[in-house]
Amino acid sequence: MVDLRTTSGSFFVALGVILLLLGVFSPGLRASLTEVNINLYCGIAMLAFGGVMLLWARTRS
Amino acid sequence: MKLAPVDYLILAIYFGFVLGIGWRLRKSVASSGDFLTSGRSVPVWITSLAFLAANLGAQEVIGMSASGAKYGIMTAHFYWIGAVPAMIFVGLFMMPFYYGSRARSVPEYLKLRFDEKTRGLNAITFALMTVFSSGISMYALGLLLQLVLGWSFTRSVLLSAAIVLVYTFLGGLTSAIYNEVLQFFLIVLGFAPLSIVAVMRAGGWSGMEARLPPVMTHGWKYMASSSQNPMGVEIFGLVAGLGFVLSFGYWCTDFLVVQRAMAADSMSAARRTPILAAFPKMIMPFVVILPGIAALALARMHVGYALPPKGDSFDYDQALTTLMAHFYPSGMLGVGLTALMASFMSGMAGNITAFNTVFTYDIYQSYIRKGAPDHHYLTVGRVTTVAGTALSVMTAYLAQHFNNIMDFLQLVFGFVNAPLFATFLLGMFWRRTTGHAAFTGLLAGTTAAALTHGLTVAERKGGWIATVHDFPSTMAQNFWIAIFAWTTCLVITILVSVITKPRPVGELQGLVYGLTKVPRETGVTWYRRPAPVAALVIAAVVFLNIWFR
Repeated sequence: MVDLRTTSGSFFVALGVILLLLGVFSPGLRASLTEVNINLYCGIAMLAFGGVMLLWARTRS
Repeated sequence: MKLAPVDYLILAIYFGFVLGIGWRLRKSVASSGDFLTSGRSVPVWITSLAFLAANLGAQEVIGMSASGAKYGIMTAHFYWIGAVPAMIFVGLFMMPFYYGSRARSVPEYLKLRFDEKTRGLNAITFALMTVFSSGISMYALGLLLQLVLGWSFTRSVLLSAAIVLVYTFLGGLTSAIYNEVLQFFLIVLGFAPLSIVAVMRAGGWSGMEARLPPVMTHGWKYMASSSQNPMGVEIFGLVAGLGFVLSFGYWCTDFLVVQRAMAADSMSAARRTPILAAFPKMIMPFVVILPGIAALALARMHVGYALPPKGDSFDYDQALTTLMAHFYPSGMLGVGLTALMASFMSGMAGNITAFNTVFTYDIYQSYIRKGAPDHHYLTVGRVTTVAGTALSVMTAYLAQHFNNIMDFLQLVFGFVNAPLFATFLLGMFWRRTTGHAAFTGLLAGTTAAALTHGLTVAERKGGWIATVHDFPSTMAQNFWIAIFAWTTCLVITILVSVITKPRPVGELQGLVYGLTKVPRETGVTWYRRPAPVAALVIAAVVFLNIWFR
């Protein structure tokens, strides 16, 4: 069986890492109306979400 | 809008994960039940998020932000008056009969409760409707991707359909449900940041209130008369038409969503599925409607954002994608686009998995070939999955060429759906209701819907018989059509029931209120019981309605 917590956890960790790297190494990447480093913040949020899912999977199994 | 390699990388990772879930679940499918109904084995947190996501198609995401820009916070009525009360009702009062009857589908419940013809009518119209609406949403997606990214219509339609086909074909309903949960997370994490930055740029809620006419930021204040608000709806039409008939009709009887609850691993889990789903459901307006309102405010601020024009108005359907182009740099742009694809796929997979179950069990097994060994029906289920996808793709192309036929079909399906809830309500709560009555009531309700449409006009639509009444908007007309259809169905079903022979009480065990044991749940923590959780949901939704009055 598939443990959905592990699967979605790893998916969002992967996404989070990509966005975080973008945010750190090209902080100037902006769309015309954004004033913040949106990749950085969203990367952190997704890493945190993915991490919580992975933790949840570990504590229950 | 231009994508960078990293955006394609994110899209590719997403495709890899959804296909991977299907691939790893392929071994869990051994019988037609595993494939079509998940063998009633899915944990409640997964079924409740899937319950929500199956409804959260691309049309919902794009359409709700479009309505946000067009009608303002009033759009939230679709959630706070529409969906949430209906979700509570189906969980508390109807799920005991769906789950307890051991029916494999909603049409099959109608067969157990009423008779073959009522099931046939519901199964056939439902099957047609699911294929059709998945084709329509495929068309909408293809059109949007063509418009904003310049992708070829054919390529995006075929690629997204192929991916949905592969994972539903491999892992059946379980795979569709698991992917719906992943898709739901992605939709929220992909669109919520857009909502936050767009609203912040528009000056927060108070900034939007200052920049927009007050009717856009109040849900109830301008509902007293239809001339005061842009929806053209007054409070009775809203509450009775949308809040009661249409929403209860959809959330309580549409197999697409009910199927997710029926896949839960216990009666209590099945009942809590729609109730737990109501929590994220009532938050969704902040993710999908607020960006639309923010778009309208930003368009008035001369910051370089404008809603694309269409005729002498705006193309509201582009509100979400134009916001993405203005707020998301490469990286998040890929995530946002992937979230849009995810919403499309969750909607389409919902349609396909409901279609193959109803076709296999309620049409094929009932009318074409009875009593074959189970593996035969598993094969039929798989073939139907492929056929349903092919039919959806064909519908998408038809929609591209014959827009008028599509509008017409959508209208007719609306007529068929409008009276349904009256039939279920009587069937579940009045044991005297008979099969002949249910069938006649449904036909009468559909006729009443068509007649109402033929006798009234709204935005130059309808009135093909005569014009008795002029509605201020097609939305008001739809709500009132639903009210008339529901009432007609209710009255006719009661009348015919009284003059026809009732079924013996012994045959109705587990199907009707009063003849069904609703499990007493003593000794279970309160948050694992349906009723206390439902009370919490009601308190929260009342609060939201008052806050945004």
